[in-house]
Amino acid sequence: MEKLLEILEGIRPDVNFENEKKLIDDGLLDSFDIVSIISELNDEYNIAIRVTELKPENFNSAESIMNLVLKLKNSN
Amino acid sequence: MPIFNFNNIKITGMACAMPSNITKTESFKDVFGADEVDKFMLMTGITQTRRTSKHQTAADLGFTAAEKLIQHKNIDRSEIGALVFGTHSPDYRRPASAFIIHKRLGLSIDTAVFDISLGCSAMVYGIQALASMMSSSNIKKALLIVGDTAGKTTNPKDRASIMLIGESSVAILLEKTEESSPIVSLMRSDGNGYKYLIVPAGGYRNLEASHENEICHDGIERNLHNSMMQGTSVFTFTITDIPRLMKDFWQLTNTTVDDYDCFAFHQANLYILQQIAKKLKIPVEKMPLTLSKYGNTSGASPIVTLCDAFGEVEGKELNTLFCAFGVGLSWGAFSAKINTSDILPIIEDDTFFEEGVINSMREL
Repeated sequence: MEKLLEILEGIRPDVNFENEKKLIDDGLLDSFDIVSIISELNDEYNIAIRVTELKPENFNSAESIMNLVLKLKNSN
Repeated sequence: MPIFNFNNIKITGMACAMPSNITKTESFKDVFGADEVDKFMLMTGITQTRRTSKHQTAADLGFTAAEKLIQHKNIDRSEIGALVFGTHSPDYRRPASAFIIHKRLGLSIDTAVFDISLGCSAMVYGIQALASMMSSSNIKKALLIVGDTAGKTTNPKDRASIMLIGESSVAILLEKTEESSPIVSLMRSDGNGYKYLIVPAGGYRNLEASHENEICHDGIERNLHNSMMQGTSVFTFTITDIPRLMKDFWQLTNTTVDDYDCFAFHQANLYILQQIAKKLKIPVEKMPLTLSKYGNTSGASPIVTLCDAFGEVEGKELNTLFCAFGVGLSWGAFSAKINTSDILPIIEDDTFFEEGVINSMREL
């Protein structure tokens, strides 16, 4: 989780990723942020996030992003 | 998977035409705010684009590029046996715009002429279609024209696209040759992504589609006649499927990244190209970029980039890997040897086919 928070804060240092639960629903992240996050996650965790995973619920919080990463890592 | 090998077809010329009208990305700061525009420029690398005037079309620019190419190469027009135009910005619903170009170029009736309805991948598919036709016929020379004017269907309030799109057309000459000059192409498609890049109206599905603007899921105002791009979906597809395509291509052709002198890739945006280059370990100096000057010029962009980078370079042989991807979803790659002496510098042109502007049925 620490590594993930480091990645997210590197992309948007102004967002409190530890507490925010509606990153997408509240419009805190824009599409450029999402593509940067996807790219970093793919590289860091050696996963391939597909279009079908682009649901708000997968990106609304650091916890949900971590769950997505773990799900994809386990299915590899 | 559909992989094609052509051993006796060569690309012997390419030209590009674009309008002179320049739109500076910075000029959108008044509309979208400085922070938004600065972030856009940083991510996409686009600082300006070119736009056609009201009646100038991709076919007009394609005609200009093709005419220049024919004159420069001193081609006998009667030898051109096929003309294909790859576009999503046709002059009319029918006939295909390739026929307008055919008329204006003064080509023979012994020419196979049609449009290919593709956007960013049109050049890759066009090369494959023409090379296949030439390989199985007596056609010695053929013209591929690719271009779009996507800005015309982009809502001015669409901050996701209005700063991204540039307009241009290119012409490519293919000739049968006795020398060994392999072209290898590999193509893929995924119709499941048909909504990711779409203009919902204008076809025959919904002839009474409203022109009224509405707020879309991304908070941007558009109407059914506007281009809609789900940017995050397109990006995700691109950074996953394009590296996979290239790795498969190298495996099938028994080549590696080191075997190519130049990577002429669709100029989608800077961030996407940087991600692809990083994943494939493509040296940046081998991947020319023109996003800053011309933006995303759809299917024309790989050739726009070659004309910009090598239009003044004489006699250099480049083993080139082309790759393009976009609306459909559609993506593909092909390799070909290109001599830089066959690449013309970019032409500026603002003329249009005045006869083609039909404002009344009584004109017909």
